[in-house]
Amino acid sequence: MYVLISWNNDKIEEMNMQQVVLSKSSANGFGRRRGDREVGARLENKVLLGKSNQGRIQTTGSLAGGKTGGYESSSRDRLVYLTTCLIGHPVEVHVKSGSIYTGIFHATDAENDFGIILKMARLIKDGTLRGHKAITEFVSKAPSKMLIIPAKEFVQVIAKDVAVTRDGFASELQLEKHQEILIDSVISQSRHFEVERELEPWVPDEDDPRCPELENIFDGTWNRNWDQFETNQKLFGVKSTFNEELYTTKLERGPQTGELEKEATRIAREIEGEETGDLHLAEERGFDLHDNLDIDEEMRFSSVYRGRGADDSGYEEEEDIMLDSHNIETFGDSSDSLSRKSVDFTCSQSSDGVRMPSSSSLVDEVPSFQAAIGADANDSGFNDQARQPACELPSKSFSVSDSGASRIEDNLLAEHGGSSDANEFAEKQSPPENLQLSNSVESQSLLNDKIDGSDKAGPSANHTTQAPSNSLSKVSEKPSSSGELSEGPASSNVTGKKYSVNSRGRPGSSTSSNSDRVGSVSASSGPGLSPSSSMGSLSSEKSTLNPHAKEFKLNPNAKSFTPSQMPVRPPYYQTQVPPLPHTHMPVSFGPVLFNPQVAPIQSPQAYFHPNGPQYGQQMFLGQRQVYYQPEMQYKGRNY
Amino acid sequence: MEGEEFAVGCFLSIKTTLGDEFEAQIISFDTLSNILVLKEKSGPRWNIRLLKANYIKEFSLLRQGEDPLDVNKCFLDLTSLQAREESALRQADADSERFGVGVTSEAQILFDALSKTLPVHWDKTVIVVMNDVRVSSPYLPESVSGGTPAANERVKKVLEFERKRMQTCGTSL
Repeated sequence: MYVLISWNNDKIEEMNMQQVVLSKSSANGFGRRRGDREVGARLENKVLLGKSNQGRIQTTGSLAGGKTGGYESSSRDRLVYLTTCLIGHPVEVHVKSGSIYTGIFHATDAENDFGIILKMARLIKDGTLRGHKAITEFVSKAPSKMLIIPAKEFVQVIAKDVAVTRDGFASELQLEKHQEILIDSVISQSRHFEVERELEPWVPDEDDPRCPELENIFDGTWNRNWDQFETNQKLFGVKSTFNEELYTTKLERGPQTGELEKEATRIAREIEGEETGDLHLAEERGFDLHDNLDIDEEMRFSSVYRGRGADDSGYEEEEDIMLDSHNIETFGDSSDSLSRKSVDFTCSQSSDGVRMPSSSSLVDEVPSFQAAIGADANDSGFNDQARQPACELPSKSFSVSDSGASRIEDNLLAEHGGSSDANEFAEKQSPPENLQLSNSVESQSLLNDKIDGSDKAGPSANHTTQAPSNSLSKVSEKPSSSGELSEGPASSNVTGKKYSVNSRGRPGSSTSSNSDRVGSVSASSGPGLSPSSSMGSLSSEKSTLNPHAKEFKLNPNAKSFTPSQMPVRPPYYQTQVPPLPHTHMPVSFGPVLFNPQVAPIQSPQAYFHPNGPQYGQQMFLGQRQVYYQPEMQYKGRNY
Repeated sequence: MEGEEFAVGCFLSIKTTLGDEFEAQIISFDTLSNILVLKEKSGPRWNIRLLKANYIKEFSLLRQGEDPLDVNKCFLDLTSLQAREESALRQADADSERFGVGVTSEAQILFDALSKTLPVHWDKTVIVVMNDVRVSSPYLPESVSGGTPAANERVKKVLEFERKRMQTCGTSL
């Protein structure tokens, strides 16, 4: 029996507690109180209690399996089961008087008539207050640790979001765990406040200007007959200074417009239909290049250039090597490296392109080139590189050290080369097996991008004169000339622009960085390039050598080149070079200064004029110091 | 009436003597205790109502339905139930500080609103903000006292805002 309590009395809870305690021994209907194990034991069979039930009702399939009390009726069982499900759950209990209590369901007297025990119960509605008063005058009371509600009194028990079956339990458990964690929303208690406005659909005001023409704003964008500038002027009196032709090529509209347009469309279609090795481009154009299953999501959708080796045929290894060897390059390749003469850029004069006869010393460090070039840069960049400003220097081809990594990705160049220099290196040459990429480099990721896969091989070459070193010449970009290297004159350029071909890919081919260059390079492309394109290496990690680049000829008067990444200025650089904006080649030293440092360098002169922007901005992306002394440390670009 | 009440799975519309109206599905009806077990929501979690049948003022049968309780899926894990109860108790203990005793529900609502952004606690029926500013009954901007002028102002502002909000949204009780 349990204690009957009249809870109209304020002291209800105390009474409850006391009475409950007193009747502990005789209470057989109640669930266990804390510590009340003995009683509980007896009741186990009969009463479903949160704490007491030591397993009577275990995870068996039967409903209320623990019942031995003789309730055959399954409806009773269900009641018992469901009330058990409520244990620990917050519930609301409505009682006869109209009051409502909320608390944690603790137990019920299943043996009898299901009186209810709540813990931490609060009165949230006072049945004695009627109507509006119930809200305004309601005064809160202290929560009761334990509240017993006799069966006779309760009208209904409401529990929300109760897990009843196994599915529900699983999710509940997780929920519980999460709730213990003090997450921000718990701390702010925002869950207690569910007062929200009734949302209404927006209805425009009466005087809203109706603009039906803007309703279907995405239809017929071409002929909307709406001039934004006009409207702006009308509405706000703003006079527009927009001139379309500032941003695009002026179209000649005249009698030939139709033809021109047709031609343009044709070319466009041609380009768009071109095959490409670049995954992204391919996707755009509708080609499926995904046979190589190594291509993962990142490769497909990321915009991070990773040297494109993977998706350009034949370049995977290069990629890797380049990446790996980047460091080597940076820090000096063990092998011959140093002999590089940084000055080996042969001036373009040699129409025979770069010859890499012997060592071109492309310093490993020579900043690889341009890889960084942005897409557009490609063309321009290359151009720049190609131009060797005034190369009057004896042409020295850079030989690529064996280790030399050609910085320039062949394919990159090839691409360009290919397109433009079709003659140069039209066919992709199978990379000589022993090309060592060694330091290959660095990625020209950028370059690669530009180059559409196809032709990497372009670089023709192979003719590296040095067989062994076929490898790549490192191209260091040492542009000596004024920034503008024109491709045209064969004489001039190139050396710098010779990109050493990636050995892997193309031995010796001169990669022409630009198609334009190609022309000039052609000659050189064959031989020579391979080793070294001295093309000013752009710092980019992967240098893409332009197989068609012209041999670099050192121009004694050329402006010296400042390595792009020089975190620490070597003390011997005495010229104060103002930090150059990104677009300029950072030049830090005058020709003379370097001499001592560049002892191994044959040319007495520095290659680059400190102040001359040697390359187009695109090229500078990761430039490295040209003269790389073995002992010199890699220095980042100091901007 | 009995017959239908027994029918598990039926959907009923019920009005209680206390003025509650709702629709629910019968899970079970225990004649002995006269308790009708009803289910009100669909999904893995249910809203359950235990209703003493004698308080049903009127009801009507909406439609027949299937037994919502799948006996084969009825498992009870007592340990987790106990754990749940304990955790709920802990939570309630922590929460109990939040509830003022002897305060109106309006005061409680204001307290809750303030506590969202300010540290508040009850001192009998006074809301104490940041240990400094006190808001006593009737919890109007005028009732704000104490604290630095800045803090005082802030509390006043929040109070005003909350009151306005209460008016537009209506209080939920």
